[in-house]
Amino acid sequence: MTKKREITFSIVRGLLAIAIALIVATILIFISSDGATFGEKISATGAALKQFLIGPLFRIGKNGLQFEPKRLTDVLAGMIPITFTGLGVCIMFSANQFNLGVEGGIMLGAFVSALAAIYMPLPTILHAVVAVLLGGAAVGVMMLLPALLKVKLGVSEMVCSLMLNYIVMYIIKYLMNTRLADKSKGQIQSYPFKETALIAPIADTTVFTSSKLTWGFVIALLAVVSCGLFMYRTHWGYTIRMIGINQDFSLYSGMKVGAVIVLAQVIGGFLSGMGGGIEMLGRYNTFSWSSLPGYGWTGMTVAILAGNNPWFVPFATFFIAYLNKGCDMMATYANVPAQLIDIVQAVVFLFFAAEQFLSKYRQSLVVKTAKEELAAQEGGTAHV
Amino acid sequence: MADVQNNPDVEYVVQMKGIDKVYGNGVAANKGVDFNLKKGEIHALMGENGAGKSTLMKMLFGLEQPTAGEIVVNGETVQLTSPSVAIAKGIGMVHQHFMLVPSLSVAENMVLGMVPKKGMFIDETEAIRITKEYAEKYNLHVEPTARVADIPVGMKQKVEILKALVRGAKILILDEPTAVLTSQETEELFHELTNLKKQDYTIVFISHKLNEIKEITDRLTIMRNGRSMGVYNTADVSKEEISRLMVGRDVILNVQKDKAQPTDTVLKVRDLEYVNEWNKKMLDHVSFDVRKGEILGIAGVEGNGQKELVDMLFNFNKPDAGTVTVNGENILGVSQQLIREKGVSLVPEDRMLYGIAGKASIEENILSDRSTKKEYNNGPFFNLNQIHEDTDRLIKDYTVLCKSRNQQVGMLSGGNIQKVVVAREFSNNPVLILADQPTRGIDVGATEFIRKKLVELSRSGIAVLLVSADLNEVMELSDSLIVMHNGHITAYFEDTSSLTDAEMGEYMLGLKEQTAEEIGRVCHD
Repeated sequence: MTKKREITFSIVRGLLAIAIALIVATILIFISSDGATFGEKISATGAALKQFLIGPLFRIGKNGLQFEPKRLTDVLAGMIPITFTGLGVCIMFSANQFNLGVEGGIMLGAFVSALAAIYMPLPTILHAVVAVLLGGAAVGVMMLLPALLKVKLGVSEMVCSLMLNYIVMYIIKYLMNTRLADKSKGQIQSYPFKETALIAPIADTTVFTSSKLTWGFVIALLAVVSCGLFMYRTHWGYTIRMIGINQDFSLYSGMKVGAVIVLAQVIGGFLSGMGGGIEMLGRYNTFSWSSLPGYGWTGMTVAILAGNNPWFVPFATFFIAYLNKGCDMMATYANVPAQLIDIVQAVVFLFFAAEQFLSKYRQSLVVKTAKEELAAQEGGTAHV
Repeated sequence: MADVQNNPDVEYVVQMKGIDKVYGNGVAANKGVDFNLKKGEIHALMGENGAGKSTLMKMLFGLEQPTAGEIVVNGETVQLTSPSVAIAKGIGMVHQHFMLVPSLSVAENMVLGMVPKKGMFIDETEAIRITKEYAEKYNLHVEPTARVADIPVGMKQKVEILKALVRGAKILILDEPTAVLTSQETEELFHELTNLKKQDYTIVFISHKLNEIKEITDRLTIMRNGRSMGVYNTADVSKEEISRLMVGRDVILNVQKDKAQPTDTVLKVRDLEYVNEWNKKMLDHVSFDVRKGEILGIAGVEGNGQKELVDMLFNFNKPDAGTVTVNGENILGVSQQLIREKGVSLVPEDRMLYGIAGKASIEENILSDRSTKKEYNNGPFFNLNQIHEDTDRLIKDYTVLCKSRNQQVGMLSGGNIQKVVVAREFSNNPVLILADQPTRGIDVGATEFIRKKLVELSRSGIAVLLVSADLNEVMELSDSLIVMHNGHITAYFEDTSSLTDAEMGEYMLGLKEQTAEEIGRVCHD
């Protein structure tokens, strides 16, 4: 099939998956919407959908639509943590390593960065940089556990990393409860971060006041570029991808398969740890997470939507962040349960992951291309 | 040389009309193919690899569905949606790779899926009776109680043929049936096929081997590039004509080579021993040398230790005892990376498993053993210009038929895939090339190319170890030759030019063995 048709197919397929997910969402909104009569329910559904689809960017008022920069920056800010976990998962999945540790990883990264932010005396900017890097490094070390167990003993990295998430979470909770909590506060939270460690918002104009869009967003985009170059322009990334396609072939070709499998997981861990640190120092000023934040699981959705290709991660994260914001809007203004987003995400995910979805359409494109090529080969004499 | 395609006076048991087949990867494997079978004939289906023979037969056996066209069996248009439908219509297929359960007995394999029962248990005696009855009726001798894992290849094939017959097949498709057989076993098979023909069975015989085709078939259909090149009476066409129709030019089946001038020893193997997990001795005091500038062939029926030997040489397995050195340095138990650094290349037997990453591009496949090379990296980044340039040059030098270097390797035909493998393995300045079944199952053109390349490389001073089950190949290409039987070297021939097939057969089957002294000459100490 020609490249153009391949892309057309991917786009049609993606849009269709989204459309089906939206139809499912509509049905669910309809069921859960308020209204005594059918007509009321329909109009309530319509209003909710409007919030869902255009609410993330526009205020829906009496005088029509009004662009809201604050909402856009919220969507962009929502992309930050899942961009990091998404990238981490992309790299690990590319090596065919189904490491699910990014969820615990983002929490550990946030926690370690928070500690650095509270207890280390360092100047502005440098403090944040050190804190985030320490968060990343901590998770990189954490990922050594499933990675080395896999390489040395053949332990399933999936089971190991999944369990590791909970070990990490409970250790953090234990430390918070017993040692690190600020006892003067009414809930379990750490002492406040030093001002020097906070990650600043990108712009401080009136429009952006109280926005959570920090320089972390720029770092996230830089991470995308770095990962894209790493995976497609360096021999390490190349080796990771080849191992993912055919490990026996990679071994036979003389690649350092074991080392690279470990490397992929450590890098994946490092990225998710950084994401945790940036999220923590950008959005909060004390550490108060008491359970897994969910950014890791979403990161897996991101990686699958992006086909494990870092270059597509920003599109996937924008899509998910937009959906998330849409659901917030719906929950706030239209009384629809926020849990709906999980269902919509799951449906989209299902159709993306289903290999056979639209396979007949794909086959017809393939046949068409082959016939055209044949006709071209034979100077157009063959009937098409 | 008359095309005998559509004779209205003849009744056909099978007619395939205007068959088109386009695969999911865009390969148009069949284009308007007509194919028919007369009752009681042996019909050869010939063509290079990727010509579309297997695809056509898969459609006749219901494994694939045509994109367009019609299939008529016994005068009735049919939709062969699965093998069970095809079997019900009296069509049976014997695959190149046997579809038997190794741990079950011959009789149990025979009745799989149609098991005679006594209460809730398998009626073993009935299964054996059925097997014996059919074996006698068709004169195909098998041991009903033996485990399939323990019987020789020739007998496995008979079991496969009987399996098809028990299920009522009147039309038998044999996919390269002689590829795995010794010449004695092949003769036996031909005798049995002739027998079946006399009993009005129709046989499709897929093969590359011109001699066999001439010997046993009545008519032949030649395919090239997805199209039928016509149907001929075998007696009316010469081997040269068939070969021309298959590849569109005259293939020189003899590779020209000068006499080898071997110098220093490169590969030195001493007293390798290996007992496998089922306690079978697979390597028994194997010792030999390969020198610069020569091709040493290893002949032998498959399963006599060749695979185990190659596995040891490339660290896919560890022997119980012995030493292996390349230019004096140990390579036993050393990582593949270090083995490659010492200049050893391997053309692996299983090219789909080891030779390529199917979903990666041609370029990425060629890069696999040299991605960390200096010229290919500028600091942390790839020097893509250099990589593109070298890849394009290799694609051209090795005449890989493809759209571009970015095409997925898995989409190429078998011969082109193997060309990508050898382009990589031959181009990284090797001192020793291990070529394990380098031309198995690939088309004549690619075969010829690879063989010539091997000779050329050996003459340029590279040591080549050639392992091949193809007797022709190993005898034609090797400068000197060892024969393996039961994990043991049974003969060494310093000069292969005067050897005959019959003589080789006797050593390969273990009927004859040279003295230890004669064999010992392969070690050039």
